[in-house]
Amino acid sequence: MVFLVQVGSGVYFFFVAAVFLFYWVSWAATGSRVLRLAVVLLANYLFCAHFGLFYVLLIPACSTADFLVGLGLARYRQAFLRRLLVTLSIALNLGILLGSRHMDMLLKGWDWIFPLGLSFYVFQSLTYTIDLYRRDGQPTTSLVGYLSAASFFPTLQAGPITRLTDLVQQFAAPAKLSREDGGRAFFLIGLGLLKKALIADYLGQNLVNRVFDTPNLYSGVEVLAAVYAYSLQIYFDFSGYTDIARGVGLLLGVRLPMNFDHPYQSLSVTEFWRRWHITFSQWLRDYLYFSLPGKRTKIMPYINLVITMLLGGLWHGITWTFAAWGLLHGLALAAAHGFRSWRGRPKPVGAWKRAGLIFLTYHFVCLTWVFFRASSLANAQALLNRIGSLSAGFDNLSAPLFGIMLLAAATFFVSKAWYSRILDGFARSPSYVHVAALFLVALALQFLGGHGSVPFVYSRF
Amino acid sequence: MRRFPFSTALAIATLGLLLAGARALRPAVKGPELAHAAALVDFDPTRVPFSPMVRHTEPESPVPLRPLLGSPLLDDSGGSLDHFYASLWRTEKGASGAVTRVVHYGDSPTTADLITGDVRAILQQRYGGAGHGFVLIGKPWAWYGHIGVELSSDGWEIAPATQFKARDGLFGLGGVSFTGAAGAESHIVFKDRRQTSFTVWFLIEPEGGVFTVSADGVQLGRVNTAGASRIAARTRFAVAHGAAALDIHVEEGPVRIFGISAEKSGPGVVYDSLGLNGASITVLSRLFNADHWAAELRERDPQLVIINYGTNEADFTAFIDRQYEGELRESIRRVRAALPDASILVMSPMDRGYRAEGGEIETMPNIPRLVAIQQRIARSTGCGFFNTFEAMGGEGTIGRWYNGQPRLVSGDFIHPTPGGGKLIASIFAREIGFGLNRFKLRQMLQSSAKAAVP
Repeated sequence: MVFLVQVGSGVYFFFVAAVFLFYWVSWAATGSRVLRLAVVLLANYLFCAHFGLFYVLLIPACSTADFLVGLGLARYRQAFLRRLLVTLSIALNLGILLGSRHMDMLLKGWDWIFPLGLSFYVFQSLTYTIDLYRRDGQPTTSLVGYLSAASFFPTLQAGPITRLTDLVQQFAAPAKLSREDGGRAFFLIGLGLLKKALIADYLGQNLVNRVFDTPNLYSGVEVLAAVYAYSLQIYFDFSGYTDIARGVGLLLGVRLPMNFDHPYQSLSVTEFWRRWHITFSQWLRDYLYFSLPGKRTKIMPYINLVITMLLGGLWHGITWTFAAWGLLHGLALAAAHGFRSWRGRPKPVGAWKRAGLIFLTYHFVCLTWVFFRASSLANAQALLNRIGSLSAGFDNLSAPLFGIMLLAAATFFVSKAWYSRILDGFARSPSYVHVAALFLVALALQFLGGHGSVPFVYSRF
Repeated sequence: MRRFPFSTALAIATLGLLLAGARALRPAVKGPELAHAAALVDFDPTRVPFSPMVRHTEPESPVPLRPLLGSPLLDDSGGSLDHFYASLWRTEKGASGAVTRVVHYGDSPTTADLITGDVRAILQQRYGGAGHGFVLIGKPWAWYGHIGVELSSDGWEIAPATQFKARDGLFGLGGVSFTGAAGAESHIVFKDRRQTSFTVWFLIEPEGGVFTVSADGVQLGRVNTAGASRIAARTRFAVAHGAAALDIHVEEGPVRIFGISAEKSGPGVVYDSLGLNGASITVLSRLFNADHWAAELRERDPQLVIINYGTNEADFTAFIDRQYEGELRESIRRVRAALPDASILVMSPMDRGYRAEGGEIETMPNIPRLVAIQQRIARSTGCGFFNTFEAMGGEGTIGRWYNGQPRLVSGDFIHPTPGGGKLIASIFAREIGFGLNRFKLRQMLQSSAKAAVP
């Protein structure tokens, strides 16, 4: 089923333009924070409603419950009461998460369908109540402010997971959007669309999907190329989504956190998780890993790392392949942690050693992507067997495909400083440059992009 | 209104107008339209559920159910497949030495033995197996392979018919020529260890060299390929107690080999899967040397020849409009000239899809056109016809198979997954079974009519 308001679609941007207009007109004309947030709230629920009308009941009810828990945590100091309240919130949110995914195991004769994944909503909601429980954030007394933040539509489908205490504060502050920030938003949206349509979808449609479906039809070299292509596809797909979400947020004056920071330039798996899906790994660290017992023992931190990553893997879906993905990352993180405990903090390394470490880390990550993308463990084994066959054949690696992969890989060598320089330069340029650039992006997507729009990979989680 | 971000709003409005203007000039350009506004408030209950609970309905069968009798999927009218059915019936009855041979020419799925491998397994289970059949002695493509066969080779110069490397058109039965200097070798292992005869298909030529053949490590013979003129030849080696591994080693080059066939004593079915990657019907009508191919076919002596192309042709509308019919007719003519008695079956391509503008996966319009042409020509030339496209479910199947669970077609919207291949194979084998039953019924009715004549 293709949803009309799928992020990146024409309807979505029409929707964003309409929200932008009502949001800023209501704020500029009345100066009313409540009216401005009401526009956001309405937009959030309109967005949700397109995936199912029941979301318009479910999400406000759950958000209100978390808001009330927040008020309780702000008021009561007794440890028992506070624990009870946070437990209620955790149970409610985990109940939504598990219920939306696995309720059909209990319902005989009925299917339980949640087209809009609720995990990012749940993760964000839990940041609020757990932060307040830990006295690590300020509560809000504004229901409309909380509801607007909890279901903020740009982040609802696939993040970035934003701490609600931060988002609520941003909504509480007077809204402003400079011309430069508008330019930044355009840059992020344009870049996100290009990443998604010209790179991720192209690689998916022209190599990755077919090779992962029928690996035995391809040579070892082609399967290896498909694994590399998938590593690019998932990065450009997900970071493209994040760019669009951050751009749309910025158009409403809201700054959303970064989710990716040159992950394939990591020197170790530990560093990879500091650069890949940053808000998710921070969430796992802050709200799951730190909550597990045995922090001060010798062995438990290693086991906890494995448990955390295993659960992180199973969050994507309860399958053996996601379990294998999480387990491999957990074991690698535990090994890296152990190595660091033994040898101390890593010292600066020379260029060759650095290149070698990046190479090794990248290939380990690629190995785990095989399990992440494979339809079953047997499928993953077939893919690895094909690579192991060392058979050479290049019939399915066309020049445009190779070119796109090279172009995509080359972008990893754009340093952060250069990226910031380009972003700031674009933001400061005249408005007609912004318009012309976005117009060219729109045309490029239509005439160079793949056929049709493919949903974002992470929108199904 | 001081707080209103005028420049950003103006940029958005200008962009919208530009796209709308571009759309007015060229409708192919997507831009803002009224339908977008309407879509925002469109809560059609068929698309937007009110409740997450939906009464469970069993998923539709990936293949529509069809009546058992008079099935339109396999058209064997006019007795077009009677020669094959008669042989298969003898095989089924277990007549001594009754071997039914099928040669199946196809494109990339056949190269990997998708569909054909499963058809072979089903038919051999049902009617008995008389050996694996024809296999190439190396992998022209990394994904070439047969179910139940392991294949490795070294030192061969490989020339598939589709790659225009060998201009003489001598590609043997399987469409690939292997030329080896001294030291070139192939190692072929069959899962079924009871192959009792191996035939090597090669070319005798003035400068021909020598190769040896071994089974399970025991040398069976030494073959000299030198001769006065270029002529296709075969040498058969019997292995009384059966063998699994066959080795070919070139002692003196050059040697040109086309493949080997492995068989067992009948009764049973032998199903040759002869796939060429990227192939179209012109392989049979133009690229194969007619006389050479005819000789190879006659030597193989199949009761049924299956011509299964069309997927690759679907990219070329002009070719379909102008040439396709003639090429298919010529291919059929060539087979019939070589094997006047054999049955010929035209097997249509699978459904093939593409992602349309809205993101939906749709059937390529040329596929139903090709199927219709094939059906018409098969009927007018006295060939049988199997409608793979309809067997899958017809128009739009590729999207359903791609989106279904388990996925039955690959992400290129062309190749079946092993599960999809097995499904098509089981329908095809089922239709052959129905066809055989119809044949038996006709035979019995004819016999009783003859008996009733005073």
